[in-house]
Amino acid sequence: MSKKPDWFKGIFPALVTPFTEDDQVDEEAFRALIRHLLPHVNGVVPVGTTGEFVYLSEAEKRLAIDIAIDEVEGRVPVVAGTGCASTRDTIALTQYAQDAGATAALVVAPFYLKPTFNEVYEHFEAVNEIGLPIILYNIPQCAGTHFKWWTAEGMAYLDNVVGIKDSSGDMPFLMALFEKVKGQIGIFCGHDEIVMAALAAGADGAILASANLIPDIWQKIYAAVRAGDLATAQDWQAKIQKLVRIVTRKGATQAVKEGLRMMGLDMGDSRHPIMPGGAFEREDREELRIQLENLGKIEVSSLGFRVSSVEDFTLRIGEGFSGPPFFELAHVDLLLGVREGPVGRAIARALGEPRPSHELRIINQRPRTLLVPTVTVRTEKQASHVYDDAASGVNLAIEASIKDGSLPEGSLDDLAMIANVFVHPAAANRKRIEFNNYKAMRAAIRKAIEGRPTLEELLNEKEAARHPFRYAP
Amino acid sequence: MSNASKHSKLPFAPGVFPALVTPFDRDEGVDESAFRGLIRHVINDVDGLVPCGTTGEFPYLSVEEQRRLVEIAVEESQGKPVIAGAGAPSTRQAIELAKNAKEAGASACLVVTPYYLHPSDKGVYQHFYELAQAVDIPIILYNIPQVVDAYLPRTVVEDLADVDNIVALKDSSGNLTYTMEVLEMVQGRIDVFVGHDEVVLPALAGGCSGMILASANVFPEVWQRVLAAVREGDLATAREWQMRVQKLARIFCRHGGGVAVKAALNMMGVKVGRPRRPLKPTGGALIHETRAEIQLELEKLGKIQNPESQISNLKSQTPSGPVEERFGDVGLTAEEIRAAGLRVGTGSAGEAPEWVQLDLVAGPKAGPLGDAYAYQLTYPLHRREALTTILEPNLTVRPPTLILPTLEQKNLRQANMIYGPTQSAVAKAIVDALERGVIPVSAMDKEVMIVLATVDPKALDRHALHKNVYAAMVGAIEQAY
Repeated sequence: MSKKPDWFKGIFPALVTPFTEDDQVDEEAFRALIRHLLPHVNGVVPVGTTGEFVYLSEAEKRLAIDIAIDEVEGRVPVVAGTGCASTRDTIALTQYAQDAGATAALVVAPFYLKPTFNEVYEHFEAVNEIGLPIILYNIPQCAGTHFKWWTAEGMAYLDNVVGIKDSSGDMPFLMALFEKVKGQIGIFCGHDEIVMAALAAGADGAILASANLIPDIWQKIYAAVRAGDLATAQDWQAKIQKLVRIVTRKGATQAVKEGLRMMGLDMGDSRHPIMPGGAFEREDREELRIQLENLGKIEVSSLGFRVSSVEDFTLRIGEGFSGPPFFELAHVDLLLGVREGPVGRAIARALGEPRPSHELRIINQRPRTLLVPTVTVRTEKQASHVYDDAASGVNLAIEASIKDGSLPEGSLDDLAMIANVFVHPAAANRKRIEFNNYKAMRAAIRKAIEGRPTLEELLNEKEAARHPFRYAP
Repeated sequence: MSNASKHSKLPFAPGVFPALVTPFDRDEGVDESAFRGLIRHVINDVDGLVPCGTTGEFPYLSVEEQRRLVEIAVEESQGKPVIAGAGAPSTRQAIELAKNAKEAGASACLVVTPYYLHPSDKGVYQHFYELAQAVDIPIILYNIPQVVDAYLPRTVVEDLADVDNIVALKDSSGNLTYTMEVLEMVQGRIDVFVGHDEVVLPALAGGCSGMILASANVFPEVWQRVLAAVREGDLATAREWQMRVQKLARIFCRHGGGVAVKAALNMMGVKVGRPRRPLKPTGGALIHETRAEIQLELEKLGKIQNPESQISNLKSQTPSGPVEERFGDVGLTAEEIRAAGLRVGTGSAGEAPEWVQLDLVAGPKAGPLGDAYAYQLTYPLHRREALTTILEPNLTVRPPTLILPTLEQKNLRQANMIYGPTQSAVAKAIVDALERGVIPVSAMDKEVMIVLATVDPKALDRHALHKNVYAAMVGAIEQAY
């Protein structure tokens, strides 16, 4: 007999929880986020993993659930995250969600201490007694417990269990769920990188961190799969794959919040110990920004910066680092300035001097760009890595930066750049050298033009910064 | 001492056994004379030999090559026991190797948990049981989950310990909870050898009776001291020797295994050639920086002489005189510095060899300092490459700051002292000075700095160096601003 509710389908954002400067739940920002998302979603999920539920007090969780229910006003279902480490706390919060009027509760596997599967089963059996519809939640990346399919199958027979959200990204597990419990309970995908495949295989919908940022695109994918148009769905999933990979793997809560801030919705930062420049690394931030630009979610100048506002082009300095892998990582030190200034003069002087083992090449004329290898080139292979692969990446970055307006089109003939590129002598994967240099150079250009890192970034991170080469092997 | 010694089934005394590397020549052929040379180098300090182990790259060797290597080991062993590696994914292959080992004169064979395909516990038990029935040679079980990707199950070891010719276990996991569990469960029925160089002392103290180690190719005499000290109950001495080799042990265990051991032996003049592909002699698991670190550690152990001329008098090569006159190297004369009104400062801190001096020049981008800064980045001086100062990658400090070493960095370990601890300390000092208002925030956009860093090429202690560079930079900034 199917217990799958009619409302349990489509795209649900796992809402971030906004915080004010003094670290309180920011009610206004939360309401603004929900209002922003409502036209594009089939439901909302407050107090989930993306909502940093483990960092919220009991009172804050209740507040966030109340706000979501109030702001939504019954237009879409509200699935409240109520999972806690202990059964006792989970029961209390689930009871609260029911009394507050939540549509259902999303209940994560009990985490930290590792209960055995019979204990997990009895945990859900107890929560089932409350009477609020329950959605089981498998997210082994955080909970440390991966449901076995037979555990999930057994719990699917509990009266009030109406669905499961699987964030593992483990497709064989999901396929086993389809085999065992499809039709009986609703099955949602919670891993942004495999949504299209999961929907095509039979998932009813998805609860996603990235649906805070791109709910409209997720709707296109959902609609395309339902219409049987897999080509369109594949195409869209491929377009957002880089963005969602950053979200799922590189500090989801902070990534989504910084993305929303770029889009003009300031949700604050994640609570510590999640921090800017931490799991969501600075290079990920550059990439997320470019992806949001590519998807038309933000303008290049969206961070309040315009090239035309930069007055001083005497000498601007930018750095970009991009990996992985270790041997093919790129590190670009960039100088950018007018041809009549220090940069132009240094290039002219350098080209007039002999440079054994450090052949200098002008690799672009607009802007005039000098490529300087920082490691002595000893072999033909190394030379090719620098002057073919890295140079190609640098030039692609210049092209992209002109196109997106980061480099001022009107001044290209007046500008010069010196790009110091590092290519490891043991590098092997040529495409990776090119791509990492592209990313590093693009970031270096933007940082040089925009004057980043800012004082605030430096002060916030100076104690915690982890220099990779400071320590003995 | 060992709880295994009373009823040991071992046909020889446990002690220090090197897991011999297999020397290869330029064409990747086995270099037999180099192998003999290696054995002659170690034989006086060891209690036996272990050819064709993991350190010996056994999965890259043919059956015939393994037979030949065991034969040579027996010939060169001066009567000491030879434990032949005889591990293979299938039982059939392992039996063949063990029979060959017996014929070649080995005293025992070392048989790893079957790998690649993952048999059940039953399958693993059957593998060793069948092997033990099929051959007439003592067998040493071998747990090394780092490469097998599975533990040899403790319960299987417990049962196999009753088989007559299964005489010992080598545990290379480094996981002492496993080692202690096995020691408890086998109750002295078999000996346990420690196979993880980083935990030799605690494993011996816990009841292991001997060791089979990669690093015993390089410093077996150190392990003899550790073993003797533990047997005498002199833990203080054992700890002292274990700590002396701890960094090398860590490098051998975690940064390339046999590849790193070969690099060390080659540095010592014991020529053992290269590894077989896909392993690279350096630039793979063993990166160049770590190779330089091995060299330093071997110097400290007295295994090699420092091949480079030592800096005879660091102070004589340290910039001195009025600070304005120290920046000739970056093309700034004292007159230009004074005329442009640039800020200068100097600071020094610490004791040799972590003593450092930093000379700082700071000022507007437009002008001679901006020109000097840009010019530096057009030509990395060989062994004195300038660095853009970062707190960490993608977190450049501002005002932008170049660090230029004043002394040649002759190897990557020395260079690492500059781009690691020195750079991160300079960066931290600058940002702290911004926070305290010593460097005005307006300088972030308008100014640049160049720091000449004099760091002793013999500097060893990264922590002390970081501390000293920070103190010197704080001093230099306070003078300049």
